Formats: sequence, C-alpha cells, structure tokens
Amino acid sequence: MIGPQGALVEASDVRREYRLKGDLIQAVNGVSLEIQAGDFLAIVGPSGSGKSTLLHLLGAVDTPTGGIIYLDGIDVASMSDPERARFRLEHVGLVFQRFHLLPMLTAMENVELPMAEAGVSRRERRERAAELLERVGLANRMRHRPGEISGGQRQRVAVARALANRPSLLLADEPTGELDQKTSGEVLELFQSLNADGTSIAVATHDLQLAEGARKRLVLVDGRIRE
Amino acid sequence: MLILRYSARELLRHPIRSGLAILGVAVACAMLLDMLMLGGGLNSSFESLLTTAGYELRVAPAGTLPFDTGATISDLQTVRTGMQRLDEIDGVAPVLGANLLLEGPDRPRVFVLGVDPADQGIYRLEAGEDLRSEARGERGIVIDRELTDRGLAIGDTIMLQAPGSFADARSRRGEFTIVGIADFLYSSVGERSAAVSLGTLAEITDQPDEASLLMVRLAEGADPEDVVARLRSDFPGLEIASVGQLVERAAQRLSYFRQLAVILGTVSLIVTTLLIGTIMAISINDRYGTIAALRAIGISRRSLVAAFALESLLLSLAAATIGLALGLLVAGQLESILSDFPGLPAAIRFFVLDPGRVGLAAAGVIAAGVLAALVPAIRAMNAPIASTLHREEP
Repeated sequence: MIGPQGALVEASDVRREYRLKGDLIQAVNGVSLEIQAGDFLAIVGPSGSGKSTLLHLLGAVDTPTGGIIYLDGIDVASMSDPERARFRLEHVGLVFQRFHLLPMLTAMENVELPMAEAGVSRRERRERAAELLERVGLANRMRHRPGEISGGQRQRVAVARALANRPSLLLADEPTGELDQKTSGEVLELFQSLNADGTSIAVATHDLQLAEGARKRLVLVDGRIRE
Repeated sequence: MLILRYSARELLRHPIRSGLAILGVAVACAMLLDMLMLGGGLNSSFESLLTTAGYELRVAPAGTLPFDTGATISDLQTVRTGMQRLDEIDGVAPVLGANLLLEGPDRPRVFVLGVDPADQGIYRLEAGEDLRSEARGERGIVIDRELTDRGLAIGDTIMLQAPGSFADARSRRGEFTIVGIADFLYSSVGERSAAVSLGTLAEITDQPDEASLLMVRLAEGADPEDVVARLRSDFPGLEIASVGQLVERAAQRLSYFRQLAVILGTVSLIVTTLLIGTIMAISINDRYGTIAALRAIGISRRSLVAAFALESLLLSLAAATIGLALGLLVAGQLESILSDFPGLPAAIRFFVLDPGRVGLAAAGVIAAGVLAALVPAIRAMNAPIASTLHREEP
C-alpha cells in the first residue's frame, strides 16, 4: 500500500522535540521526505544530527511532536501504543547497531520470534526462518546461538529477523557500526541484494561505504535536511 | 511460545545468580512452611488427641481441666448415674489419677490411672490383655513402654505404694500383675504411666467414690454445646467443657505460637518478594536495551511481561520445591526438640504436616515471586523505546 501521494513513506514537516535538563532539543526539525517502494535510502550526517531519531519516527518506534508520517498509507502518529506495536510487527523491519538478538535462542529461533508474535504457525515460521537464514548466507548456522557466531553473522541473523514478517520497509540504524570494513562490505552487499529483490530499505549510517552503496542519500544536519 | 522458552533459558544464562536466588527463596519458603505448620499444628494436634478416643466432653472439679490429681469429683456414682440418665449421653468414663511409687531400688514415681476397664479412653492396648482379666481375680495392671524399658514384662508382679509416712504407706500399697502393655494417650515424654481398675486405685489412695476426670461419650446426633449447657445446669460445682471448647481455650493459651508464626511467616514472604524482586530488577535492568529492541520490532508489552512473569514463576517454583523439602526437614528437627516440652502430652505435635498448609506455603512463595517480578517488568515496559535505544546504542 502507498500514501496519499503514491509513495511508500511520506513525511511532511516532521518534528521531534524533547526537553533535556530544561533545554528544548529539536532532534528533527521540519523534515519532509518520500521513500518510494523499492528505494534504498541512506540517511547520513554527523553524530547528533537526528538520523536515528528520524529513522525511529519513520518506523513508528517514536511519535513526532509535529508533522505527519504515512507509512503504507497509514498515519503512524495517530495510532495508540499497542496499535503501533502491531504495525511495526507487520509493516516494519528493524536492524540495530548492536543486533539485539536474544543470546539464549538459536539463530533460527531469533528469526522465528517476530513470526511467533504475529501468530504464524510453528511449521510455517520454521520454513520461513530457514529460507531467510539461507537467503542471508547462514544456512549452516541455524542452530547456533548468537554467542557462537561472528559479529557479521549476527547482523545477518538480525536482518533475517527484520524480514521475517515480510515488512514493507527495512530500517537499519548504524547496521555496520560494530563491524569491521570487510564485514561491513558484506552487509552492504546483502542490503543491495535484498533491495534488488524489491525490499525497500532506509539506513541511518556514518559508514561512507554503506552510504555510497545506497541508491539515494539524504544528509541530515541539526535535524534538518541539507539540500 | 517462543518468548516463554526464552524466559526459561534466560535463567540458565546466569546459573550462579539464579542458583543463589533460588536458595535464598527456598530458605524463606522453608521458614514460611514451618511457621504455617507451627501456627495451626499445635491446635489441630491437640484437637486430634482429645477426639481420638471418641469422648466429646470432659468433666472435672472446677478449675482443674484438663487434668489435675490434686482435686477430685466426689459422689462419683451419683454424678455418673445422673449423667447417664440423659438420652444424649452414651457413656461416662471415670478416671482417677495418682502418683504412686514403684517398689524397687530407686522407687521411681509412676503415674497410675484408675479406669473402668469396660469404658476408658486413656490408653490403647499394644500387647497382652486388657484390665478385663481382673475378672479372673487377679490385680492386673497395664503399663507403658517407659516401664517395660526398665525391664518389666507381661506376667511380672510389681508393688505400687502411695507416697506418705512409712506407717501409712504400708497400708496403702498394692501388688499387681502386669497383664498388658499400652500406649497412654495423654502421657508426657519420659513419664511412667500405668492403669489399674478404678476401684483398686481408689482403695490404695483412699479415695472411694471419687474421680479426677469424667470423659463423656455422646449419643449419635447430640450437640456437644447443648449437652454441656445442660450438664452445667445440673452439676454447677463441676467444670464441664466440650472438646471444641477445650481446643478453643488451648488456642487462646497458645496464641503466642500463632503470633510468632504470623510474624515470621510474613517476614519470610517479604524476604521472598525482596529477593525475587531484586534478582528480577537486576536481570531486567541488564536487558533494557534488548527489551526496547524487542518492543521496537513489535513484540507486545503483554508478551514481554508474560515472559518475565514466567521467569519469576520458574524461579519461585524451583525455590518452593527445595524450600518445602527443607521446611519439612527443619520441622522434623524442631519437632524432636520441642517434643520434650515439659507438661505436654508426648502425642502432641508442634508441626503437623497438612497438604493445605504445604500448598499455602508454595502458593504464597510463588505468588510473592511473580508479583515481585511485575514491578521491574512493568517499569521496563513503560520506558520510552526510542530514548532507551538511543541510550543503549553508542
């Protein structure tokens, strides 16, 4: 599904302000953007420029203090907390810098987790998890726990987990932040490959290699898009 | 569910932390069980002891219940006949108690009970014959295990004498043949007990037509409280009480134990709550970033709270299992110490094993544990996802 203007994501004059020790911080200050289905967008900018905040707003993880965001044609800011959780589960795939895999579950079980929450049958989620782990090149690591695989492999598991419920948009916040250059390159290749298969991706990153590998780039400085 | 499997495995991730928490809660659970057993055990044990022989009422001289050898009911036959006239009364068993000396090198004191061999609820015969053998013309006596431990056996002849001056004592003695060995229901630990016929003891102690206590058996369907009221009216000089009233009096006297049990039981529940609450708070705080990430990917608050509640439930279940076993072990040890409590019948139990109390202790610990986990879990669920992720990610 697409927004009123025909884009997968439509953000208009989005603001996110919060108070820190009495000071008003404008983390995102009037950002408007569109992400089309099939895009691979890199949001770049210096530390504190609002990249992660913008990503969280686009993914319905955070609520804007101003403006409108449509994702899949739905106004994400108007939803209640449980509705947003369900929306994220079904429409958004999230990848974090520190992977946030559950250490006591296997790679397969970690990928199954969002599907189990969505009520997918055990058999179906097993098949889908195996398919996804194979897709990210971890067919031989399905029974391994996160502590038993490398950082790059963990991030691949995290990507597989993010894709579990067939989201409309994959959002990745500094996905290569904990990885060396070679492994970062492998993650970029994975994103490019997924994008080529039709997955829409937005990445917040410091990593020039990753940013340059994206189809589009958006530079954020002090919470504003720099033209 | 997968998220619940995660909870179970999470406990194994920190085996020392989980193990110590389980042991700590197990000790608290053991204490709770012991306090529950102590709080109600003495009462139920006392009630069971009083009802075991099947006599629902006790009658004694005023102010001497449950038993005092220093005062007696006079005109026994008149009182007994008067009571037996009532349709609600099925039988009246008189008991006369006296401390006699067993002739021998150290002249040990023996607590001798004079009973009607045909109607008594004082002892249970374990070996030999009952006092009915007296019908053959013997002066029979039934003794307890304390006396058999001194080498006495069925068929032996013993001499018992009332304490007093030498000249007086010579006339107040009797020779008895041991006919049976019995368990004396109301004897205290270490007390030497024996039973002879009421007439024989009355003769030795010079207390004809007297009894220390009457045990009254009611007809089927009779209401004990009604009969007590009627007897109090008919025999105003006597103290009359039902087993229920005696248990109530005992409960009042033993309220110290109940209060102690309530206080220590409450303390153990508080300790359980604090221990599990602390462990779960530490465990959840360690995972704030992961919790925020799980919420970010769409795992619901309900699923996560259920996962933490299960984690706490498993912790509490393991602790309760160990704690109940430990509590029973400690209760056994304490029982062996307290059973020497002076003046109480040896059959009285301070700690009575009751499935209801075991269940209550386990349920208390489990409920306290699960509730203790809810506070840090709900706190973590209310943390804003985005700012938590900002804080956790470098």
